Amino acid sequence: MKCIITIELGTNAVRVFAFDLKGNVIGSMKGHYHTFHTGPDYSEQDPEQIFITMLYVLKNLLNEVIHPKKYEVASICFSASMHSVLAVDKNGVPLGNAITWADNRAKKEAQELKGSPGAKKIYTATGTPIHPMSPLLKIAWIKNNNRERFALTSKFLSIKSYIIQQLTGEYLIDYSLASATGLLNIHTIKWETGALDFAGIQPDMLPDLVPVFASAGKLKKAYQNSLNLPADTKIIVGSSDGCLATLGAGIWSEGKATITIEDSGAVRVVGKKVLQDEKQRFFNYLLTEDCYVSGGPTNNGGIIFEWFTKQFGDFKNPFDEEQSMEELIAEASKVPAGSDGLLFLPYLLGERAPIWNANARGVYFGLNIKHERRHFIRATIEGILYEIYSIGKILEEHRSIHSLSINGSFASIPFCTQIIADIFNKPVSLRADYHSVGVGAFLLSATEMGIYKSLDEAAKTIELPDTYLPGENNHAAYSSYFSIFEKLSTKLSDEFEAIATLQQKSAESTENDKVVSKMKLT
Amino acid sequence: MNQFVLQQGHSPELELFPHIVELGAKKNSAIQLNSFPESATDTIRIYYVNDGKFEWHIHGHSCLLYPGDVALILPGQSFGSQKGFLEIGSLSWMHIAIGKLDNGKMVPGKWSSLSESESMTIGKILLLNNSGVLSKLNEAGRILQYIQGELFNQQIGYCTRVNQLIDELLIIITRQLTRQSNPARDFPKAFMQLEQTLRQNLSHQWTVEEMAAIVGMGTTLFNEKVKNYSGFSPINYLINIRISEAIKLLKKEDISLTDIALDTGFYSSQHFSTTFKKLTGYTPSEFRKNHLRNN
Repeated sequence: MKCIITIELGTNAVRVFAFDLKGNVIGSMKGHYHTFHTGPDYSEQDPEQIFITMLYVLKNLLNEVIHPKKYEVASICFSASMHSVLAVDKNGVPLGNAITWADNRAKKEAQELKGSPGAKKIYTATGTPIHPMSPLLKIAWIKNNNRERFALTSKFLSIKSYIIQQLTGEYLIDYSLASATGLLNIHTIKWETGALDFAGIQPDMLPDLVPVFASAGKLKKAYQNSLNLPADTKIIVGSSDGCLATLGAGIWSEGKATITIEDSGAVRVVGKKVLQDEKQRFFNYLLTEDCYVSGGPTNNGGIIFEWFTKQFGDFKNPFDEEQSMEELIAEASKVPAGSDGLLFLPYLLGERAPIWNANARGVYFGLNIKHERRHFIRATIEGILYEIYSIGKILEEHRSIHSLSINGSFASIPFCTQIIADIFNKPVSLRADYHSVGVGAFLLSATEMGIYKSLDEAAKTIELPDTYLPGENNHAAYSSYFSIFEKLSTKLSDEFEAIATLQQKSAESTENDKVVSKMKLT
Repeated sequence: MNQFVLQQGHSPELELFPHIVELGAKKNSAIQLNSFPESATDTIRIYYVNDGKFEWHIHGHSCLLYPGDVALILPGQSFGSQKGFLEIGSLSWMHIAIGKLDNGKMVPGKWSSLSESESMTIGKILLLNNSGVLSKLNEAGRILQYIQGELFNQQIGYCTRVNQLIDELLIIITRQLTRQSNPARDFPKAFMQLEQTLRQNLSHQWTVEEMAAIVGMGTTLFNEKVKNYSGFSPINYLINIRISEAIKLLKKEDISLTDIALDTGFYSSQHFSTTFKKLTGYTPSEFRKNHLRNN
């Protein structure tokens, strides 16, 4: 019996799934790795820890599930978070940690590029919004602020490129991840000279561009031995988590959109054409030569409700966040839709789409003397979902959307799924306990093996049985409140900037105090 | 409350307890200049505030203490009032002589009935935390009172009882320390702090008990939470960190394999080599060779 293994190098953890050729999960395991926050805007990960964690988890899954059940591994397919950058020297040895998508240190570079005449051309060519998340700007930051590292760098890789290079020796990047670097021309599928110039690099400082189906070469002998896999085990380069979540959600035709909400979130559509937005609010990522995944990302997804739970949950059992969340949601469900007029702007982490304002901050609005704790709970959840709707709404300016498919741990909480259906006034389908990135990678591998003729055909096999229908009364309530939400999100922009500046100052002075007290000690 | 000071060498009550260096209680109703200057000793000092508000300087930090709070001063740390005098109020205290091992770890002496591993863990936690102030620990005040009562009344079994009470005092202080740094809400954050602590002392032979104590959890809950969150048992997670640090060092030419093994917390280069090969398929020296002639 053959099986397909998928490896997802996610934000906090690697998840490994094994599927039989019909797409049933035979086993899965995960392994967490650390994120280092060494400065206010810094977010880094140790590439060796990611590699060793991936290897350990893969080995455990093989030894505990795959080998005992006598499965033969037909292929191993990779996916990864977008926007990571890892500098390596001429021997392939990492120069420091990898910089993750969440790292915002390149703010200045982003502003500089945004204000320059070439900005629009770069966005149009690369499809990636000009934002500190983009590797284009991260590399420019290294060039401007870390000259020594820049000078020693032989290649700038993504985390996935590094992991694959460790396993097979090849430096590769697939079209999807490359299209999220801000360096790739998504129309010609070649590195974009203007972007490379801004980053200060040559094409040979990037990994080789390959289609998502490409083979990444042979496993090195040592790994064949330690994993007990044959030399001809196919390693497939694969795609990005965003593209594969969309494929795995079965949304592959006109009139559909997919909503993913984990810690952060995104609304995505798929099409044969790039979405050209005058205001540069969307990303356009490439899955294959003629298939674009377009949409908008939000910073403020489930992580905001987690924040709320940590502050205001009951925690009857120590560290039992899940239980505390369930209790809060039960309380929120007793409040009518619209929270009796309490509104919440969820911008605790600044915001990307649609307002693209890093200074945006959280707001509770409309508070009156009758509001209770339970109103805050419901308003918080509704605020997160209004934000998702505000992305969906601008997507509808370009594409008509008739139905939605939901995935991600926050969006798939039934209470949240129903609110999404109500706010959007569209039917929503959902498969609970469903790992759309893993399934997407399975569909990609299975298509590569010829089990499906095309990704279109593969996506059509996804069944989405649970459907949530919108409730009309609730929709009316939500629409009235949403129009206030939408106005506030842009109206407050001067005040957002003012408060963000003050917060920055206050954070700096606390940081200075720490340094002073440390100096006193020594 | 009774005011008194018992001191080792002067007070017959302490003859059977060489580890109690000083025990006292004081109601301070007037300010006396130079009555409370900063000093350092080689004992653990525990001060409990019954009444009043005290502004003390502990190990370079200014701290405010209110009734119910405890000041914990480790051997070698300075303690006193920067103004030199003791504010008005009442407090009780104890100074305990603590066995100090070569590697800087503290363990209670033979008088204690704590097991070896538990006292090692307590020593480790006390050393890792340098906050100095434990807030709202009324239990500590009560225990100090019981100890005083036992010493003055000398009823049958008082010797054992006093030593048990000191053990108990150390235990509740340690628990409070870990609880104080982790409010038992945010496991990812607690886990992140744990990872930082592990990385800072990677060569230490960490036990699960020590790791659990750092995040303020019992080992059963800790094992379950770590497995659930990280996918690994605590020890296997630690091995991940050890191997990934070792890989970084292997990619630099100038460090010997033995040094790498010990720096990253393996017992020996043999232990390092076996673990490394099991996971990666390479021995450390093969891995190094392979990576240096890679390109």
